[in-house]
This record gives sequence, structure tokens and C-alpha cells, in this order.
Amino acid sequence: MARSALAQETVFALRETIARLEGKPIPALAAAQAQATADGQERERSGREDRPARLATGVAVMDEALEGGVPLDAITEIRSRAFLDAGVASGFAFALSARLQAGAQGGVGTLPVLWIAERMASQEAGAPYPLGIRGFGLSTTQFFHAFPNRIDEALWLAEAALGSGAFGVTILEVRGNPKAFGLTESRRLALRAKAAGRPLFVLRHAAQEEASSATFRFLAEPALATERRLPDGSMLGGSIGHPVFRLTLEKSRNPAPLSLFLAWNAHDRQFTCVDDPIRHAVPEGRAAAHSRASLPAAFNRQDPAPALGSLLAFDRQAGGRAGPFERAS
Amino acid sequence: MRLTALDENAQAAGLKRGQGLAEARAICPGLVAIDEDSAADRRFLEALADWCDRYTPLVALEGQDGLFLDITGSAHLFGGEAALLSDVLHRMTGLGLAVRGAVSSTPGLSSAVARFGESRVIADSEIEAVLAPLPIAALRVGADVVQALAKVGLKQVGDLLEAPRAPLARRFGPHLLLRLDQATGLDEEAISPRLPVASLSAERRLAEPIQSEEDILSLAGQVAEALKPSLEARAAGGRMFELVLFRVDGKVFRLTAGASRPLRDGPRIARLFAERLTGVHDELDVGFGFEILRLNVLSHDAFDHAQGDFDGDGSRQQSLADFIDQVSARLGPECLKTYQLRESHIPERAVVAIEALHHSVSKPQRLPEAAPLGTASSAEKERPLRLFAHPEPLEAFAVEVPDGPPIRFRWRRLTHQVRRAEGPERLAAEWWLDGEGAPTRDYFRLEADNGQRFWVYRQGLYDQVANPRWFMHGIFA
Repeated sequence: MARSALAQETVFALRETIARLEGKPIPALAAAQAQATADGQERERSGREDRPARLATGVAVMDEALEGGVPLDAITEIRSRAFLDAGVASGFAFALSARLQAGAQGGVGTLPVLWIAERMASQEAGAPYPLGIRGFGLSTTQFFHAFPNRIDEALWLAEAALGSGAFGVTILEVRGNPKAFGLTESRRLALRAKAAGRPLFVLRHAAQEEASSATFRFLAEPALATERRLPDGSMLGGSIGHPVFRLTLEKSRNPAPLSLFLAWNAHDRQFTCVDDPIRHAVPEGRAAAHSRASLPAAFNRQDPAPALGSLLAFDRQAGGRAGPFERAS
Repeated sequence: MRLTALDENAQAAGLKRGQGLAEARAICPGLVAIDEDSAADRRFLEALADWCDRYTPLVALEGQDGLFLDITGSAHLFGGEAALLSDVLHRMTGLGLAVRGAVSSTPGLSSAVARFGESRVIADSEIEAVLAPLPIAALRVGADVVQALAKVGLKQVGDLLEAPRAPLARRFGPHLLLRLDQATGLDEEAISPRLPVASLSAERRLAEPIQSEEDILSLAGQVAEALKPSLEARAAGGRMFELVLFRVDGKVFRLTAGASRPLRDGPRIARLFAERLTGVHDELDVGFGFEILRLNVLSHDAFDHAQGDFDGDGSRQQSLADFIDQVSARLGPECLKTYQLRESHIPERAVVAIEALHHSVSKPQRLPEAAPLGTASSAEKERPLRLFAHPEPLEAFAVEVPDGPPIRFRWRRLTHQVRRAEGPERLAAEWWLDGEGAPTRDYFRLEADNGQRFWVYRQGLYDQVANPRWFMHGIFA
């Protein structure tokens, strides 16, 4: 009896270790943990748990999928398909950082932000612009920008920044899937983030899906912005208001990928879920700046739209069955 | 082509400086002539000057082949002037150089004796006696003056010392008498040291050279501890440190490392160099080891005494400062920057990047805060999240003239259909910097069909420029 209890305890201990390594809470373990009455263990746990380890996005669906929010002691990866989408990907990273600052989670939010950009990324997509970032809701009082020359320097910087614990958020921006930043390096960074209790956002521009130690990976795609809200509550047609991100949660514990549209309100530092972006695409009331039909012409109808081309008056030819007007192509 | 320098064998063969190469070859068929490389000679002389740093920080170059060492106050460290001179000559001969030297109270006399006399230490009482038998050329005057003096029978310095001064000055100019007075000590002569003198420095001489990085660092830490009392006496901490490593074979390495806040603590200073050593690992050739290690404090600042507090805020600032130091030492200070705002409405001028090392951590000169939660900052103009360092030209099609945005544009070989546009926001050039004719920019926020949002501008107005160009300046989220 005593032996089986001992064995059970060992199994629990092992499970707990594994869970801690993987960074996931296991409900089944909670009961076992409650039974662990040793003072040292208790103290250790409370020391670890007084810090909120998750940053809620404020959108219920998303938070549910993220098990409470973006982890604050792990890697979160944000990927874009092309450099053209760099604005959206970096915007989402900045929006998360802004939420962290606004929430001031356990003092982490008051810490400076470090942006580590590989040189090529800055050339291709531009450097972060403090005035724009400020307008986006992120305080730039202590915004640091590192310019490493090579990817290994960038990784070293990220590791040192996480280890120092001086930064509330560290954002590492890389281009594509460099060989030097593989699973091993990512694992190393994840462990460092875990130990320091600091989040690391990895921005991969123009990148493929790749195995990494990130807890979550988002694919950020651009979507049409909402319109500006007028004081009377109506929307100003044709205006560009809050940016909208089309986010796909590619990697998570939930096997089904979640895809939704989030609008970012920089003044309130809040995400709102936008269900139907097409509704915003079609301006109501006032015409958009260039409201032209960008849809293909309808076909297979009783009264088809005339084919494109201009009508010219030709001489009527004998035997011709054509009408008075010939179509010049 | 002429001979510029000769070795002993060539001198023995009767060749002279300034001789034509063809003539020299005729005299001495086996002559080996090497092209002069004055830049390399200069580098070599500078390397020797670095090496001489071990005797005094005040080392100046003299002409092509001479070094002045100001040993005021440092001779006693080497057992007196004579011992120092013999040490210099002995070690330099050991390096394979033919070297002569003299110690006297004036640079002019030392130079004269070293070049034209015996290597020795000259007491103040025997200045004239030593100087008198030397040739006039020893006074560092031009060859034409030497020749003119020779014509009138004045060949030795002694002849000038006895001659009346007024006629000499009239006939040969004041320069000759100046040089004479400088040699005898009647006039001052300043030497100009190559390197600024460090405000504080400490060194360690080793009987056995050290090679490993750990040894260098632990020794640097010990030397830094030795500097601590001097820094404390000045109520200062070092901001910029230089570690000078003298290799056994005479090569000297200098490593500098900056700190973002004044430092005084030995181990922390050593840690700066630990990062620096990692950064320069390939360039630092240890060879047979280093025999002298010196730590200079190049600049220092008032040290603010930190009192420990309980909430841990102090340790956080410390860790930020440590991180900045670590990065700046390893990857260079230009690798980590922070931003400051400037009064300018031109987007790229409104923000200036400064090195984080010069950004004081304890008293940050801050960017204005982001708008507090919930307050509308509608007065603030929308700016892109990312700005291109160099605006990229784009082709705009179907532009609304005169003040409208394009309907389509082509950028980086992709055509974008504009769905919505906001603007223009007109930014005039800063005429006080750019001149009167600088073009005005009209900025537009464009949203493409796919949802990307861009910040583009038209340079110039339609009524001023026939065909204004369009540029991509930034991207929004």
C-alpha cells in the first residue's frame, strides 16, 4: 500500500515536471498539488503563482483558445506571409505590448520595450517609428531598438534581454525561417523566457510554418479597417478607422485552427472582435473615395452586361446581319 | 630613384643617403634595394610609441624615426633615469632594433645627443659641455642653414654658443637661435603626446606572461579594484575604460569599453571587458602572452551613491544598465539605440536615435507619454508604425488632380488597388534647413484592396511641378 502511494507520488512528480517543462497547467494535477502540504513546496508554488502569467486579449473567443491569454513567460510567434504584411504583424505585436502596458501586469508593464530587428527586416519593411507607435497606444518613454548585424547576434541579444529581466516585452524580428534560428535556439529562448518570466514575441516576416518552441503561433494577415465613428454613433463612410487584423491561431493546444478578425482600438487599448469584415468593406451612405465596381461583371443572366469596348458607327454592309453599329474590339 | 635609408653594410660600402639608385648599384652591384613605404614606417613607429607607453603615457613622435618620452615623475619607477634609459635601450635592442637614446632636461638636447652623440644621461650642469662638440645639424635646423653656417666657418654648436647672437639672428633668422635656446633650456619646448593622458590609470607588470581570457579578466578586475580608492577620492565613477595589453613581443592592444552609468566596482568593470573580449575575439592575437596590463579611465562622471531600497526598483534599473553595458561592449555602442523627439514636422526629422549608452538610465530624458487610457488624442496626426529610412519611389496611376490620391499604384513590382484614402496632409518643407525651393509633400493614408495600409506622399504640387513624383514612406498596421 505504502509502496503504491510512493509510486503514485513519483508519477505525479514526473507529470508535474513534464507539465512545467511544457508550460501547461494540468487540471488533474491541481488535486495532487492541493495534497502536497509540505511547506517548502507550498511556498515555492505561491511564489510562482502570484504573478499573472497570461495576458488576456479581452476577446472571449480568443482568450478561450489561448487558455487565458498570451503567456507572459514564453515565446509567442507572429508570422506573416509576405513583407507586405509586415505592418499588420508588427501592429499586432505592438498592440499586445500596449495591452500589457495598460494592464501593468505585476509591474511587468512599466518596464521598457526592446525591439530587436534583423537588419534586412528593417530595410524591407521600415524601422519602427516612435511617433506612430505612440499613436498606436504603446508608451515609448523607454523604447529600445537593437540593430544586430547577424542572426546569431540577434539571438544572443534576445537571450541576454530575457535573462536580464529588464524588459517588459522583447520583440525579435526575423526574416523568413533562418537556419540559425531553428528548434534548438527557439527552445533555448523559451527556457530563458520561462526562467525570467518575461514574454518574447517573435515576428517572422515572409515565413513558413515551422516547428518551434513557441507556445502559440499566429498568422497575421491584413484586413480592411473599420470606419471612423462619428460623435452621433454613425460611421463615416470611406474613412480609415481602427486597424483590423485577420488572425489565425496556427499553433495551440486546440487542434482546430481559429481564425478571426480583431480590430484594435488604440485609445482604449482594446481588441474588439469584428465578425463580418465585408460589412465594413462596403461603405454605407456616402460613397467611398474610389467606389468602383471591383467585382467581375455578372454573367449568365437574361440581360447580360455589354462587353467592354467602344461603339463605332460603321457603314452598313450588304448582306451583313449586324445592326447599324459594329463592335470594334 | 634615390636611397632614403641605409643599413650598416651599405654604410660600410660607402653609400650615402640621397644617392641615386643607379649610382649606388654601380658602386655596389650586390645592392638589395627595397621600395620605401613611408606609411608602413609610420605605423611601425607608432607601434613602437605604443610599446613605450609602458614607461610613460606621454609619448610623442619625432620626425620619421624618433620618439620623445616625457619621463617626468616616472623615472623612479624604473630605478632612476640611467636605469630607465638602459632598460629602454636593452629591450629595444632585444626587439631587433638599432636604437640610441639620451635623457636630458630638454627635448632638443636629448634629440641632438641621441642622434649625434653617445647614449647617456646628461645632468643639467653639463649641458653646454655636451652640446658644444656636436655638429650644427644636431640642432634640428634646415640643411640650407647648416650649409650657410659651414661657409662662414661655424660647424659645431660650440661655435654658435660663443658667437654674438644679434648678427646670427640677422643673418640666419630667429629659428636658429630658437633651436639653440631650446637645446640649452633657455626656451621652452613642448612635445605633443600622441594620446590623451588618461585621468586615472593603474597597471600590473607580470613576471610570467598571461594568455588565457580568464587570467586577463581576473587581473583586470584586480587592477580595477586598485583604481577604486582614486575614484572614491574624486567622488567619481568611470564611464569609459581602456584596457591596454602589452604583448611580450612588443605589440600593444587597446580595448575600450563604455558604461552607461559611472562604475567603480572592480568585478563590474571586468565584466565590461569580458563582453568586449568576446566581441573582438578573433582580432586579439594572444601570441606568447601579455606581460603588462594597464587599465585607464578615459572619462569619469560624478558617482551617485545608490541606497538600496526594498521594492526592488533599484535592481531593475541596475539590470537595464547592465544590459546596455553588456550589449554596447560586445556589439558596439551603435547597436542599441533609443529615441528622442525633436521639434520638427518632417516625419523623419521628428525623431532622433541616440545610443543607449549615452542615455542616462537614472534620469531618462523621456519621450512624451502615450495618451492616457481613454482620452482622445484626435489632435495628434496619424503616423505609420514603420517608416522607411529612405522613401521608396512608386508609380501612381489615375491620380485625382490637383489634390487627390491615386486610384492605383505600383510599388515593388506589385500593383495595388486603392480602396479607401484619407488625405492630403500637407507638410511644407523646412525652408530654414532645406532652402526656399524645397518641395512640399502631400501625405495620404491609403488602404489597398487586400487591407494593407500605406503612407504615401506626392512630392511637389501640380501647379509648381509638371509631373510630381510619388513616394512610399511608411506602413500602418
